[in-house]
Amino acid sequence: MPNKTIDEVLNNPENKDKLYGYVGQILRLNLTTKTSEIVSTYKYVPKYLGGRELCNKIFYDEVPPGTDPFDPENKLIYMTGATTATGIPTGGRTEMTGIAANNLPSQYSFSGIGGWIGAEFKFAGYDGIIIEGAADSPTYIKIDDESVEFLSAEDEWGLKVHDTQRALNDKHGYDFKCMVIGPAGENLCRNASITTSNDNVMAKSGFGAVFGSKKLKAIICRGTGVVPVANIEKLLELRLKMGDPYMRVSPLQPQTVQGLPGGEAEGNWVRGNISCSHGCNQHCNCLMMGTKSVFADEDINHVEKCVSPVAYGFMNDIPNTINANWMTEQNHMQPCKLLSREFSEPDPTDPYFEEMTAPILPDIFNFWKPDFDKGNMINELCNEYGLDKWDVLIWLLPWLAMGQKEGVFDDIDFGMPVDVESSEFVAHILESIAYRKGKYGDILAEGMARAIRTLGKEKFGETNYSGRFSQILGKPLDLPISMETAWGHSFHWQGRGFEATITKPTWLATTIELMTSSRDMQTVEHHHDKYENHIKAVVAPYDSQVLVDSIIMNENKGEMKDSVTCCEWQSPDIYWSSMEAEMYEAATGYPMTEAELNQSAERSKLIYRAILIRNFERSRKMEVEAVWPGISIPDPWGEVADWDGFNRLVDRYYDTRGWDRETAWPYRETWQRAGLDFIADDMEKIGKLPTK
Amino acid sequence: MEQRQLGKHVVQYSGAYSFCAGCNSCEAICGLVHDGVVSPSYNRLFIERGGTRDMVCHLKSCQQCLDHPCYEACPKKDVAMCVDENGITYVNEEYCVGCGACQRACVYEPARINLSAAHKKKERKSKKCDLCRTRKNGPACVEYCPVRCLGVSTEPEGQVTDPKLDVAAKKLSVFTGNLGDKTPELAADSAN
Ligand code: SF4
Repeated sequence: MPNKTIDEVLNNPENKDKLYGYVGQILRLNLTTKTSEIVSTYKYVPKYLGGRELCNKIFYDEVPPGTDPFDPENKLIYMTGATTATGIPTGGRTEMTGIAANNLPSQYSFSGIGGWIGAEFKFAGYDGIIIEGAADSPTYIKIDDESVEFLSAEDEWGLKVHDTQRALNDKHGYDFKCMVIGPAGENLCRNASITTSNDNVMAKSGFGAVFGSKKLKAIICRGTGVVPVANIEKLLELRLKMGDPYMRVSPLQPQTVQGLPGGEAEGNWVRGNISCSHGCNQHCNCLMMGTKSVFADEDINHVEKCVSPVAYGFMNDIPNTINANWMTEQNHMQPCKLLSREFSEPDPTDPYFEEMTAPILPDIFNFWKPDFDKGNMINELCNEYGLDKWDVLIWLLPWLAMGQKEGVFDDIDFGMPVDVESSEFVAHILESIAYRKGKYGDILAEGMARAIRTLGKEKFGETNYSGRFSQILGKPLDLPISMETAWGHSFHWQGRGFEATITKPTWLATTIELMTSSRDMQTVEHHHDKYENHIKAVVAPYDSQVLVDSIIMNENKGEMKDSVTCCEWQSPDIYWSSMEAEMYEAATGYPMTEAELNQSAERSKLIYRAILIRNFERSRKMEVEAVWPGISIPDPWGEVADWDGFNRLVDRYYDTRGWDRETAWPYRETWQRAGLDFIADDMEKIGKLPTK
Repeated sequence: MEQRQLGKHVVQYSGAYSFCAGCNSCEAICGLVHDGVVSPSYNRLFIERGGTRDMVCHLKSCQQCLDHPCYEACPKKDVAMCVDENGITYVNEEYCVGCGACQRACVYEPARINLSAAHKKKERKSKKCDLCRTRKNGPACVEYCPVRCLGVSTEPEGQVTDPKLDVAAKKLSVFTGNLGDKTPELAADSAN
């Protein structure tokens, strides 16, 4: 039976604000009791927007301290946004939160995903789902509008990702959308991902392993109801304006190479630009067409995005320019254009053009040589086992490459000689991890951060790799064989390791953004701001209020884009700062100014912080110690962070946020300003409310 | 299936001209401009997603058959299901009783007619492509397809590779308006 009509959504007595955009229900799914329950969305919105902000609120309310990722008491909370399935571009992005399997120490974290499942949930009448408890045998959940069933997944348990999707669609029909795990999730590999259509995954945080711990193989959903939109005229305007779409034809493009600059592998394939999620006006994902499959004697198409090219050859880091992070009105471009190769024409009349676009030469690493077939194999294995590609490509394989060259694995028997140039070895190690085969497969399945500590951090984490060479300095620089940054994640635009080609103000900014989080933030907070602010910040970055304001702006935009929802690759538009508020208002009809939306983003960040403080003992000491080792490694100019300077920047950041310098806990007035008085009271009760 | 005589209808060009991004914006826009909602029960055209091995999307649209079996099957023919002066078969929803006869009569698989709010029999309405016949800019799906892989033609689906090669489309300038003369340059541009 189909779900709601437009009148039923708008005339729901609980929908007091007559909100469009939402569909009004959150579905609570209890795997222990195999029961479901409806929670009204209007209990939370519009105050807690949707997406991640709403996840944060529900988690804060429902999950007590002392819960571990694989406990049945851990909840995975998945939310769409008010813009999801409205046709407002990028609204198809959705969020999951919970206690992550793949951060260290275990903490509350989140992961974003595109695809079509979020829209389908809304058509079925649900703004989101809360997954709780644990099944005692393999299970999948089938949601067909109002009908919710907990079904046996004995037949699907053990299947790879695409085989699972096919099996479920064959059984129930191709109009069901799904999110599934592969063998890695079943075997509780901490870096296991959850996959939906078009190879869209939520990978960071390892929620695939949490699915596995709950014996949850998949959720499938079909919906036939409506999503009402408040302002269609505005929506149409946004479709034309957002991301400055060229609205131009996008032919299939035959290619002869794939890979990072300097590591391109020769091979024939066809590139199709595709969208990642429902209703987007961009197509920044790449459908790689006509490549050989590892598992069958046939050609397949697979979807790849930002990190996948690394698989084809990893000889050096990525070249960059300052303009990628800091832009002028004359020269700014949404990142989705980079991915779809639809660059806008640079404007050389810009007075800052030369300094902004001067190439920053990347470090040379020589991790592995170009190999097209091997690159396809790595990507397909990650896709099929359900493994986080970032973890594999930026941490595991470079670690094996560096460690082998430095002789640290001489006494270790991985079952085959370590050789990342060999397809056989790479396939062997990925299979060992996904199926926890052998002693080392089992250790590495615990995620790189834990595995390295089990093996011995000094030798297996901190041994220096002698093969890093700075092209800027023309000499070698230090790099540990483990590219670990903070919270059990690897480098990502942190000024060293992978994507290191950013200036000091930029890596200080991304470090603070990482510090106050519980995971790699560069998937949702790639740092962007005006170039004029870089000019100011670069003078004395450790003492720059402009830099602190820029950090907070980017952090708030991160919360906003995961809550409205919109996308990292189109937001923020530095020269259209009200874009997200306009999207929200067009979807819901609820008046929303830029300042009000910013306040909501601050609220989201604060609830996140409250969870970290209350459930996971978050403090200044913990934060600074987490990021410090990373920034003690030289950047491509050979510079390391200064302890006193960095701590001055942290002081300034906490002051600006309204958090106590000593403890990093917010003051009562900070909670109150965000309408979170109840959290201030809770913090007072547990002795975590500082006084000035 | 025998070759049918078709009227002007929405077509998807080949990937060599412009590759469907699979964004479903066309479906969403269709529901929005007609009914103010996005819903799989309201869109009048359908994007069929390829499976996990190919992931290529194909448009399934009303072909505006000139013998219009849907119109013939309608018990309220000429009141609920009508044909206008340009030969466009369309639904006058006010009089549609939602019996689904038109959907069952559609010769295509899947049927190119949707039925809204099917759980409330009285509110059930046939949702069929009318080429946005009263809309100044023509079909909204064509106008808002971000990669411009949609157009209007009388050729059967899957057979129009490129608007520049489509003789029928050239005669239908009103419906290819937003592809415009700029298209060939843009295509060349984008391929570089
Ligand atoms: S709007 Fe265009 S690109 Fe998007 S699904 Fe429809 S036909 Fe494909």
